Amino acid sequence: MSEHANDDYHVHSHISSVKFYLGIFATLIACTILTVALSYVHLGPLNLAVAVVIASLKAALVVMFFMHLKYDRTFNALIFVITLMFIGVFFAYTINDTGHRGQLDSAQGTMRDVATGKDAPGGFTPLTMPAGTHAAPGDTKKVEGAHH
Amino acid sequence: MSDTTHDAAHHEGGEHEHPKYLAHHFDTPVQQFDAAKLGMWAFLAQELLFFSGLFVAYGIFRSWYPEVFSAASHQLNRIMGAANTIVLLFSSFTAAMAVRSAQMARPGNAEDKRKTSIFLLLTIVCAFTFLIVKYFEYEHKFHLGLLPGKWFGTPRDMLSFDPIAAGAHGAHALPQLPQKAHLFYSIYFVMTAIHGIHVLVGIGVFIWLWLRNERGEFSKEYFTAIDLAALYWHLVDLIWIYLFPLLYLID
Repeated sequence: MSEHANDDYHVHSHISSVKFYLGIFATLIACTILTVALSYVHLGPLNLAVAVVIASLKAALVVMFFMHLKYDRTFNALIFVITLMFIGVFFAYTINDTGHRGQLDSAQGTMRDVATGKDAPGGFTPLTMPAGTHAAPGDTKKVEGAHH
Repeated sequence: MSDTTHDAAHHEGGEHEHPKYLAHHFDTPVQQFDAAKLGMWAFLAQELLFFSGLFVAYGIFRSWYPEVFSAASHQLNRIMGAANTIVLLFSSFTAAMAVRSAQMARPGNAEDKRKTSIFLLLTIVCAFTFLIVKYFEYEHKFHLGLLPGKWFGTPRDMLSFDPIAAGAHGAHALPQLPQKAHLFYSIYFVMTAIHGIHVLVGIGVFIWLWLRNERGEFSKEYFTAIDLAALYWHLVDLIWIYLFPLLYLID
């Protein structure tokens, strides 16, 4: 939507009415009250989802109307949306990676996935050997099907 | 009276024809305005990416230690956090109104100029209010010893950062919290402090804008600086819109 009329010289920006701005402000306050109220209700994992959804609704109102992105050049909106997509990639890949790491099994000196009990791929050399045994050089335990 | 009423057909291209606010490497005010807006959105994109690093760190630690984050978050005062949220939302409203006021201001009109100044000042007052509430929140945590990293568990006097002797006046007992609670407070202090620095910078920018407006530099002909500063301020509000539920409202 072009914000400039026939005049290619002077700046003509979309101007919202006071009533409109007040309406957006009132909606933002209502959402804030809602999110605080819901935080006292125990919804388990849904609490986080609900809070983020309400926050995103507030953010969308601020970006589109207070920041005029709805009435601005589409390219600026593109910059904003693509940034959000990159942030999404950042979140998704990082949380996925850190969420699937095992824990250090200090007795064996290896990474073990707590949930499945499997050892991390790549093998390991045990730290402590039973008395009388003798590890051959390059002796590693074969790990089966431990690729995550 | 002013150069600004020239339109493209009469524009000679000589330097003396340019309106005062039009830089010489731009042909028209529209081009200059669009370039300024684009640059500002590129900067805001950077700011979002900058804060995203902190938000991802929050996400990792919260996913690793959900019960720690839950217990530590309950030490935060939700009412103060909600009040600060409302203060910032109102400041976003006044910033948008300041831009609107400048967009409609007739050049040289004192009453229009005054309206813009009032909204700029209101935004500054809200920003100060936010920082003052934050100060009291920080002070409370210092006294309890809810501090980031290695200082966790050691009650301190905020202004001097001196340790408070156990049992001495001003120090309260450290609340019972899980082992790794210092992780939450590291995240809390870093995120809110960096956000607070952005609020402080915003105050400086808006004071500068107020001074410029008082000198009559803004009107419907040129309001770009107010527009861009308001964009920055809305971003500061955006970040707090996410910080508040993620830090204060963990179940």
